Amino acid sequence: MLRLLLQELRFRITGIIGWGIGLSMFPVIYVGMYPSFAEEMAGFQDLLDMAIYQAMGITMGSFEGFIASTVTNLVPVILCIYAVINATGTLAGEEDDGRLELIVSLPIPRWQIVAVKAVALGISLLGILLIVASGAALTMEAITLPIETNVTSMDVFVSVLAAWPLAMAVGMISFFLGAFSPNRRIASVIATVVVLVSYLGSNLTGLIASLENIEHFFLFHYYEATAEALEVGQQTGNTAALLLIALVAFGLTLIFFQRRNITVGAWPWQRGVISR
Amino acid sequence: MTEYAIETKKLSLYYGRHRGILDVDLCVEKGDIFGFLGPNGAGKTTTQRVLMDIIRPTAGEASIFGKDSHKDGVTVRERIGYLPGELSLYDNMTARRFFKMYYSLQRNNTDPGYWKKLANRLGLDTSRKIRQCSSGNKQKVGIVAAFMNKPDLLILDEPTSGLDPLVKQTVMELLREANQAGATVFFSSHILSEVQAVCNRVAIIRDGQLVATERVEDLTTQHFKRIRFNFANTPPPDAFTREGVVETSRDDAGVTLEVYSHLDQLMEKATSFGITDIETIPVSLEEIFLAYYGKGNGDNNA
Repeated sequence: MLRLLLQELRFRITGIIGWGIGLSMFPVIYVGMYPSFAEEMAGFQDLLDMAIYQAMGITMGSFEGFIASTVTNLVPVILCIYAVINATGTLAGEEDDGRLELIVSLPIPRWQIVAVKAVALGISLLGILLIVASGAALTMEAITLPIETNVTSMDVFVSVLAAWPLAMAVGMISFFLGAFSPNRRIASVIATVVVLVSYLGSNLTGLIASLENIEHFFLFHYYEATAEALEVGQQTGNTAALLLIALVAFGLTLIFFQRRNITVGAWPWQRGVISR
Repeated sequence: MTEYAIETKKLSLYYGRHRGILDVDLCVEKGDIFGFLGPNGAGKTTTQRVLMDIIRPTAGEASIFGKDSHKDGVTVRERIGYLPGELSLYDNMTARRFFKMYYSLQRNNTDPGYWKKLANRLGLDTSRKIRQCSSGNKQKVGIVAAFMNKPDLLILDEPTSGLDPLVKQTVMELLREANQAGATVFFSSHILSEVQAVCNRVAIIRDGQLVATERVEDLTTQHFKRIRFNFANTPPPDAFTREGVVETSRDDAGVTLEVYSHLDQLMEKATSFGITDIETIPVSLEEIFLAYYGKGNGDNNA
């Protein structure tokens, strides 16, 4: 099992480094640029109070708000897209291109294949976040802030890492969709819709009081990209909820992959019916 | 009691409402080199995938070395070397790295350097990335992967597909050597001459159903006989028009007949024209195969 895991990580190492460096450009650029336009950003507060920006979770009037809007708000969204691409590519993608047939023909139980790939996905997401968090924290250390703030580079580091449960939940849902749906394309489309609806839905329910009762259905509801969260961290209950969602999705993946006819590309209910 | 490497009972698989295989009763004895014949879409790959527990049957049972291919799948697959028909590999790896990885994921590993010997025999450059390999070389990678662990059972889906004649010959030698070392070989192929050359038993599958399972020599001798008669007196054109006999050629000296039944009556008739020479012409497996699939959908012994 360990050999399979090491192999899976070897496959992903380039992607981890590439996505990590690419995604760390966000905090490096945004944090690095902040001193040069801190005063201007304060002047934009009236504009940024508009509902459309609030719906997108953008409140840049303070340094904390700026970091929350640019780093802890956008990085998880983009990381979730990586999670969708990687997770649907892992089972569904490998089945589509035929490589999975060779792996399942080995003397390895299917649950181990799923478990190893899930762990590899989790490590990949953590690896990317570590690179991004390090980039953000180092940049913050390197600049001289023109304003007083309680936010430390460690706060930024931790707040970036705090996106892991959210990305893992999205990854595991995508993973499940890969084991459930006929092919990668369908799994990717559904998973992407889940991410977009969750993101926009979560922000909208925060703005429209009448939608509050459905806010629990959106994944991003359980992740706070706010100035407050930057300082005090994510709520334990929310983090636990995301991890529980990831665990349930992983369990469903195990069940459906165990029963799946590899190479056939069918929904679970399209099982064979003998018609003589 | 005969020991079976592969045994299926009423094995059926439907893709939705589309037939994959139906009521396949297949017995491959330990030590066989067993050829699995059939045209595209007949059910060869489906049968092999069910045996490997890649897809699950709709009905029926499949066992390998007496164990259920699904419930005991992991234990069973420890003893199998498998080559898929639609081979897909990790393109970014070199063949060498792929073999090391594939070997490390096997159990019952016995000879860590055997893949090198196999690759040398097949003339495979293992330092090249798989994406740079031709389709023939990718097939070689798959063959090495199937053989590398010296399995007790080889399940190979068209192993010589895309290979040049020399390499095909080497693959056939590898099959024979593995068999002599105790392995059972179950492979599908479209190249009937190589099946005839290497297999001791064959099964023919048509429209998902087995239509014949026999020893190669029995199949080629019992299905029909091709007999050439030379006569003193030329027989009339309809002289041999009867049930179980097909006249395939005629010249001034005599006729060639395919005889499915009623040989005694045919001989009596032929004698009346004064037989000057008689010759039994060997029937190839390819001709048997075509007899099943070609004229009359195989129902040509009437």
